Amino acid sequence: MARKTTCGCALNVLIIGIVVFLALIVVSFIGGNIGATIFGGEPLGFLNVGVPEYHPAAEHPFHGLPITNTMLAAWITILVLFGLFFAGTRKMKLVPTGLQSFLEIVVEAAANFIEDPAGKKHGRWFFPVCTTIFLFVVANAWLSLVPGFETITVNGEPLLRNANTDLNVPAALAVVSFCFVEYWGFKAKGNSYLKTFFNFGPLGQAIKQIFTGRIKTGLSGLVNGVIAIFAGILEILSHFIRMVSFTFRLFGNMTAGMILVMIMLFLIPWVLPSVFYGLEAFFGFVQAMIFGGLTLGFACAAVMSEE
Amino acid sequence: MDTQIWSDLAKFIAIGFCAGFGALGPGIGIGLIGWGAMNALGRNPEARGPIMTNMILAIAFAEAVAIYALVVAILLIFVA
Repeated sequence: MARKTTCGCALNVLIIGIVVFLALIVVSFIGGNIGATIFGGEPLGFLNVGVPEYHPAAEHPFHGLPITNTMLAAWITILVLFGLFFAGTRKMKLVPTGLQSFLEIVVEAAANFIEDPAGKKHGRWFFPVCTTIFLFVVANAWLSLVPGFETITVNGEPLLRNANTDLNVPAALAVVSFCFVEYWGFKAKGNSYLKTFFNFGPLGQAIKQIFTGRIKTGLSGLVNGVIAIFAGILEILSHFIRMVSFTFRLFGNMTAGMILVMIMLFLIPWVLPSVFYGLEAFFGFVQAMIFGGLTLGFACAAVMSEE
Repeated sequence: MDTQIWSDLAKFIAIGFCAGFGALGPGIGIGLIGWGAMNALGRNPEARGPIMTNMILAIAFAEAVAIYALVVAILLIFVA
């Protein structure tokens, strides 16, 4: 006889589960730091999470060695990605199974995502950099949700920490993205790519027109020429501001996520932080997609011809 | 002692204003994005996939501005 089920389990089991979770939340709420503040006294021993501390700079877990914990996390991310792709592409089969199938899905989705706006030829150029950035950021964000990150300590400092909560890593990624965008611009357009930034053409034409006698068209062209030069200056500025914005978007999102989880752990130690863990996993993916996608978008804008 | 209280007061007011006003603009922006996406969805329900993807992308952009304000607020709390 089929029993009535909700969310994959019997109704009474579901109700018991919800009640247990609510009880855990209430217990940790009252027994934790909030309850201690309201009712006075100390929080219960097993619910006493230390006050969250945030250090903007990455810590050095090994004294004397210039290795920070974010560097270690970045290396581990690279190793994990390398190992994953190495293991997945060892014995390649025509009909993929298991890990190879999963990796092919990822790579193919990225390739389609990139070739859609960029086209076949330019998509080939953009694919390695954009996909690498995406994979690095998303692997880094998801690895930092593994228990042990920020909790295992060496010499009193956490051994591992999400690499993108260190301002240097997003800045490095932003510089890489900037350099590649400019490189692709020159590769696609040659030296005429410089015209995007230093556009003296319309002004020169207007001056020529004035001297050859067509003063009226020349004067109206003069205004356009000056505007074109200013547009070039704005373009230069926007290319540099883009780097800052790239950096702080990723850094801010990752740091805010880390602090959010820390504060939720401090306030309500049980059940509720898991929700924020899920949120963090989602945001890690979205931010990685945005970093890769924006690099792609700017690259498309750089290689697109004006005509 | 007195100056300590005043500087703490200034700090907390600054943090509150920073986070509050910083969240105001992006909130409006995300609302507008959702409005636009719902309109598009109502007119063209088959295009659900692309609309959702682009909506999430645009929301992330708007949200990034709030995150900038949040970064400033966090720095004020922990560093200032």
